[in-house]
Amino acid sequence: MTALILDKFGVKAVIRWALALGAAAVAFGLLVLTKGANPFSVYSSMWTAITSSASFDGVFLKATPLILAALAVAVPAKAGLVNVGGEGQLVVGGVFAMGANLAVDGRMSGMAVLVVMCVAGAVGGALWAAIAALLRLAVGINEAVSTLLLNYLAINLMTFLIFDRWKDRNGSGQPASRPIPVVDRFPLLGNSKVHAGLLVAVVATGLVWWLLRSTRWGFQLRVVGGNPEAARRAGIRVGGTLLSAMLVGGALAGLGGVAQLAGAEFKLRQGFLLTYGYVGFLASWLARHKPINVAVAAVVLAAISITGDSLQLDSSLPAATVNVLMALVLLAVFGWTRVKAAAA
Amino acid sequence: MTLPIEVLTGAVRGGTSILYASVGESIAETAGVVNLGTEGSMLAGALAGYAITANTGNPWVGVLAGAVAGGALAFVHAFFVLHRGANQLATGLVVLFLGLGLTSLFGAAFVSRQIHSFTAWDVPVLSKIPWVGEILFQHDPLTYLSFVLVPVTWFVLQRTGIGLLVRGAGERSEVLATYGHDVRLVQYLAVVTGGLLAGIGGAQLSTAYANSWFENMTQGRGFVAVAVVIFAARRPLAAMGGSYLFGAALALSPALQARGWAINQFALDSLPYLAVIVVLVLLGKKRAAEAPEGLQKVFELSTS
Repeated sequence: MTALILDKFGVKAVIRWALALGAAAVAFGLLVLTKGANPFSVYSSMWTAITSSASFDGVFLKATPLILAALAVAVPAKAGLVNVGGEGQLVVGGVFAMGANLAVDGRMSGMAVLVVMCVAGAVGGALWAAIAALLRLAVGINEAVSTLLLNYLAINLMTFLIFDRWKDRNGSGQPASRPIPVVDRFPLLGNSKVHAGLLVAVVATGLVWWLLRSTRWGFQLRVVGGNPEAARRAGIRVGGTLLSAMLVGGALAGLGGVAQLAGAEFKLRQGFLLTYGYVGFLASWLARHKPINVAVAAVVLAAISITGDSLQLDSSLPAATVNVLMALVLLAVFGWTRVKAAAA
Repeated sequence: MTLPIEVLTGAVRGGTSILYASVGESIAETAGVVNLGTEGSMLAGALAGYAITANTGNPWVGVLAGAVAGGALAFVHAFFVLHRGANQLATGLVVLFLGLGLTSLFGAAFVSRQIHSFTAWDVPVLSKIPWVGEILFQHDPLTYLSFVLVPVTWFVLQRTGIGLLVRGAGERSEVLATYGHDVRLVQYLAVVTGGLLAGIGGAQLSTAYANSWFENMTQGRGFVAVAVVIFAARRPLAAMGGSYLFGAALALSPALQARGWAINQFALDSLPYLAVIVVLVLLGKKRAAEAPEGLQKVFELSTS
């Protein structure tokens, strides 16, 4: 009886979540211990790293492209597609936006250029995602596999451009494109380091939420994702729906690339947005593809990855160590936070 | 060395790590489980193989450690998929992330360490055969082991009782259960065996091919292995062809550059991945239809 009442208020779910996340934290602590670092001081320095005001900015700066990358996974996932191509779609979005900026080259400036760059980036990301969607529809190649392979091609494409065509002849050090002019960048919000790209991400989150919840398209997506056979019998064009889901996903990731380019990095360089696509993927699965929750999860994962730098400075652990923490959190969530699905 | 010989030799040299991983993934997929974490298992195997070789001075002990590390990560995948009903594709990616983090945590100390690596050993007589000898029989011992692994895996999967169980788990799990077999146990063993082999592949990469360790050194080879298994339809011999195709594309770049061909390096770097996609396009549809029922479910639409 008590259990029933407790469950009604979701207390059981909360306890499950707490236990799962606690287990992930303990496992990570033990791991850190094997490398000779004190888990308690590691966690406390991670906490300080998030809560100090300077890195508070850093979290939202990092979260901006991540939110878009995570939504890029969530939309196709509603239709039952596994889009692991965030890496590539982000980069291609950045490449298209940079291309647009180079093409305009001073003939326009300010807001107009920014709009052109956003459109170009969204188109670029969508086109890159469309390759995977078409491979699936025409040849039956699973999109998880094709998007993964396409990621490597996208990164090579960008590397080719910054080493060759777009190389900044005046730049020093690592090859990179020329920086985009100051007037073409996303304006900063107040006195912070956070830029207006965050507003784009927030608006996109709201829009995706509304589209999925209240439009015919969103309904079709969910039906196709739930039962494609039933969708087909109900007269929904399954192929077209899948393609549109991937296009929207790719466009969102492309916008993420633009946000990072025109808001944070200002030029293409090697390692541009590296692993953001994968972290976005984790964020979407963490929040079970519900748009608002996905955005929150992206902010949380941005915070965790910001702590990577503190790990490196305070505990001399490699920054990528936080990937372990993220993976453990995800596994805990996959394994223990839902009523067990009927064993497949 | 002439260009074709150099590229074909490079195909075997560069393809062997993927061959191990794709034979392993063939076993897992035959049992109905897709493991994108193969990439993570390869990474874990590459680091464990390198680290243990550095500490013991014996690459064979290193390979053993690589196999254990790869198998351990595959066990994580198997547990969450088989015991907790998690989505196979997403869990595989998380397992990759786990491998990526763990190997950068424990691998930093080995980045510039030198090791006593595997060396090429020419097979007596066979290595003297013109062309063939050069291409196939002047490699490290792990390469020769992979020549044995391919037919043995095929034989076990297709002609033995064990193979029948593995195929049954993927194709007709209800029947297997009816006859009193533990389907889940068979799948566990298949996935972990796949991870062990991916781990050996990773160790081959670090201790015989590259002779070094660096972060994320597998560069998608584990994903390529999964793609190869799709167009090879889980047949080890075809997987061998697919793996060597990737290796050949990999070898083409230095071979052309050494001959002064001014082809863009990044275009050539893309070639291995492009080649795999092209073959998927050519063979994908036919193969997808041949996949066992359990596997088709995974590759169909999948919501959590």
